[in-house]
This record gives sequence, structure tokens and C-alpha cells, in this order.
Amino acid sequence: MKSTSTAPKRSLLDKIRLMPYKEKGAAIIFILPFMIGFLALNIFPIIYSFVISFMDYNTLKPLSDASFIGFENYLRIFDDPIALSAFVKSFKYTLVYVPGVMIFGFLLALLLNRTFALRGIARTMILMPYVANVVAVALIWSILLNPTNGPVNQFLAMLGIENLPLWLVGVDTALPTIALINVWQSLAFQTIVFLAAIQGVDKSLYEAAVIDGANKWQKIFHVTLPSISPTTFFLLVTSIIGSFQNYATVRMLTNGGPGNASRVISLNIYEEAFALNHYSYASAQAIVLFLIVLVLTIIQWKGQKRWVHY
Amino acid sequence: MGSLLKKVSFNGFMLAIGLLMIIPFVFMISASLKAPADVFINPLNIIPDEIFTFNYETLFNHEYYFKWYWNSIRVVVLTVIFRGVFVTMAAYAFARLEFKGKELLFLLLLSAMMIPQDTTIVARFLLYGVMGLNNTQWAIILPATFDVFFIFLLRQFFMGIPKDLSEAAIIDGASHFGIYFRIMIPLSVPVLITMTLFTFIWTWNDFVNPFIFISDIEKQLVTVGLEYFQLEAGQNYALQMAGSCLIVLIPMALFAFLQKYFIEGITMTGVKG
Repeated sequence: MKSTSTAPKRSLLDKIRLMPYKEKGAAIIFILPFMIGFLALNIFPIIYSFVISFMDYNTLKPLSDASFIGFENYLRIFDDPIALSAFVKSFKYTLVYVPGVMIFGFLLALLLNRTFALRGIARTMILMPYVANVVAVALIWSILLNPTNGPVNQFLAMLGIENLPLWLVGVDTALPTIALINVWQSLAFQTIVFLAAIQGVDKSLYEAAVIDGANKWQKIFHVTLPSISPTTFFLLVTSIIGSFQNYATVRMLTNGGPGNASRVISLNIYEEAFALNHYSYASAQAIVLFLIVLVLTIIQWKGQKRWVHY
Repeated sequence: MGSLLKKVSFNGFMLAIGLLMIIPFVFMISASLKAPADVFINPLNIIPDEIFTFNYETLFNHEYYFKWYWNSIRVVVLTVIFRGVFVTMAAYAFARLEFKGKELLFLLLLSAMMIPQDTTIVARFLLYGVMGLNNTQWAIILPATFDVFFIFLLRQFFMGIPKDLSEAAIIDGASHFGIYFRIMIPLSVPVLITMTLFTFIWTWNDFVNPFIFISDIEKQLVTVGLEYFQLEAGQNYALQMAGSCLIVLIPMALFAFLQKYFIEGITMTGVKG
């Protein structure tokens, strides 16, 4: 079958028939279908986003009527107090969400790393929120955190606490509350990854630390944390990227309210695009968001030398 | 004796953390079995004095609820099949075949993965409209088919399969199709289960894509359907919770049974860094 054919001219049919036997031929067959779909449905929209962000495609008019206007959409963001404050709110959200998932994820992983009788069931319960539907989660928490008669505040009142928090309807509390709900929901990812990394730490390092007289906390700070620092770095980068994508939960929990108190940039982009049909302006904001995430990632990449040990 | 007490109290502590994590779902089930007026009266009373099934009756008589259910299942099944074919084939090429521009192509895929979905949502909406995908379930299925994350996952897995197996097959005159079908796919069942599980959970819980691309309510999937259902139910929180229950419990049950594959999937992508 694989003989380098003696006939100098092979028919086209033969060539096609032999393709799966040759590495290059097989590569084309295996990869081309995916690449065509990927380019058309996923790469082309990326390029198209950049193109329309330089246009004035802002209503339902046909694209042929839109024209290029340079950086106007980008400059407009700086004169738009709602968009600017939406960027700031996204940062504030990140400042609650990222430490939340990182710290709780690490602590839960430490606890789950111990052997105990109910380990399986405790792990299942801890990971459960991760697979729950976002809309259902939002509905549940809206009822639980209802400030006047929700179970959480009823419970707090029972404990004798006055000045009950307003949670999702308070101007100052709405954004951190959303962030904490998302910490609760997505924590499982960080927990599992941390747990796997902790289980991979060289046991002899702990033994050496014990010989040196290290206590429980010193072992965590001087052995565990430095050993898993590449994992911590990976989780930090992905958690920060993920923290900017919170449209579904913000929309369902507060829809940006009260007032604009929790109007984060992802919500602002969707509103500009699909409520106001400002396609070009929304794309410009989305690209600025992408650039911010990119810069944050590059900064972390450069900074990792200081604390990540491979 | 002291160590036994320690053990018991640690188990109790971990159980308490677990309960704290799932208490919202306990409340959900409890409220769904209460009369609407009773939801806020003594909510700490988890087991209702009287089981109220009317919420579920309303649900079963709802015009669209089970239609959304069926739509979601259809989309999940089709996504799993299409993804299964295209992604495993491309992953095989990246893991086992040498061809020009392979590294560059892989780098392109990886960098595309870095771009947040929100960045391209407007462009996708406009382009899929031109392609005639909008307001059909294909607008969800097709873009999900060509997914880079799973190429990455499967490539890792394929690279771990001993090369001797495929080299022996080549000597026996097998084509790359033969190797793919008879060696790689049968050996990859665990990672294929992981892919199916994640595809199910992510598609089932996705809000943004169906919300933007599908406009007719009877074509919707469960997540956006549930939002519509909530608006319809208005202040009837017990009914809202019943509607949430049947949507939340399906992936949870799957997860409880297939937890091993779920954890392996996350570990495989995460620990590499």
C-alpha cells in the first residue's frame, strides 16, 4: 500500500485515496474541517470587531451606509461618564472577587487535602454550586437576600443585629454582594486546581521542614505556597480574566442597579449594543476592555519572576 | 480519646462548610414545596408543615417550560456530537501528525482562547445574522463545535498515549483514520466523558449566547427560558423556586455521579499552568 508508486503519474483519485496514509495528507483531512469552521465562526468575528469599532455603525441601517470614522468611538469613551464609571466598577468587582476565590479556594483545598471519613461527601457539597444554573442561582439569592423579609436578614435580626444590610438593593453593598455570590458559585474551580497542586508537592520537603522544627503554619508558608506558586500564578491570571465577564449574573441580580451602582463594563457593553443598537461604540468599549485585560496579563507575566518558582 | 474527638469535630466542621455551600439549594427545594404566601413566613422552617405540590402542577402545565427543556437537550446532544467529531480530529493532528506551520497554527488557537467572549459578541451577532444562523439553535451549536479549549485538553491526552501503538499499526498498513478510530478514540473514553460532561454543564447553564442569538421564546433554552418564566411568575417566589429546581437538579445529579471525570478535567487543564 505504502510503496512509492512506480507509475510516474498517479490519478487524482488515487492521490485522494492515499491521503490518510501520508502524514501531510492526513493532516489536511484531520485539521481542515475544524479550521474552516473556526476561522468563519470564531476568528472572523474577532477581526470584524476591530473593523466595526472604527465605524459609525450605530443603528439598524445597512452596513453599506456606515463609514469609517477613525478613533472617534474610542475618544468618545473618555467623555462618557457612565462608561468610565463602568470600567471603575469592574475593577472594584475584581478587587473583591479575585482575592475571594483565591483565598477561599486555597483554604478549602488545604482542608480537603486532609483524610477524613466524610471527605467525599464534603467535597461533593463544596463543589455543588459550580454546576448550578446562573439564572436559578440569581433567583435564589435575590429571595434569600431580600432586605425586608428574606431569610438571611430574618436570621440576622434573630441574632439581634440592627441596621440590617441592604445587600443587592443598597448603593454601597450591591457590587460586593454580587462579587461574593460569584465567589460562592465559581470557587470550585480554584479549589480543585489548588487541591491537585497541593497533592503534587514533594513530601520530602515537608519532612525536611519538620526536622528544621517548622510548625503547621510555617509548613504552609515556607513549603506549600512556594511549591505551588506556578499554579497560583495560573489561577490568578485566569481569575482576573474571568472576573471581567460577569454580564449574566449582574444582569439577573441587579441589572446594574440601584441607579448605576453595579453597572459594570460587561453590562454596559451589552446595553450599548443590544438595547441602544450602538454596535460600533459597544465594540470599541469591548476592545478597550480586552486591551486592559491583556495589559494586566502582561504585567503579571513580567512580575511572576519575583514570586513564581518553577 | 483526644484524637477521636479531634477527628469527629473535624468531620463536623467540614460537614458544616459543605452545608453552608448548599444551603441556598436546600432553601430552593423547601420554598418550591410551600404555598406562595408561606415562603417568607418562617423561612428557617426548612421542612414545610404541608407539602404543597401546586407549584409543580403549574410548571407541568406551562406552555413552554418543557419545550425549553427539550430544546436544551437537543442543543447539548448536537454540540457533543459535532464537537466530538471536529475537535478530536483536529486534536489528533496536533498531537500526532507533523505538518508545516503546526506550531504557528496552535499558537493562533491558543491566543484566540485568550480573547474574552464579550469582546466579540457584537461582531458575532452581526455576522451570524448575515450567515442566517440567528434565531436558530445552530447559532449556539456551530460556534461551540469549533472550541479551542477542548482541542487543548484532548491534545494533552492524545500525547500521553504511547506512540508504539500507532507506529505498530502503521507498519501493519493502517491509515491515520484507522489509528484514530481503532486506537486513539477507544483509549480516550475517560477524556471524552469529561468533554461530554463539561459540554453539558456549560451549554445547559449558558445565558449570554441564547439570550443574544435566539429571539423566539419557543426556541429558547432553559436558562433564558427560566428568566422569562420568572418575569411571568412575578412575585410568586414559590413558583420561581419550583421552576429553578428542575433546571438546577439535572446537572447536579450528573455531577454527583460523574464527579471523578469533572475533577480530572479541571486538573488536567489547570495544573499544567
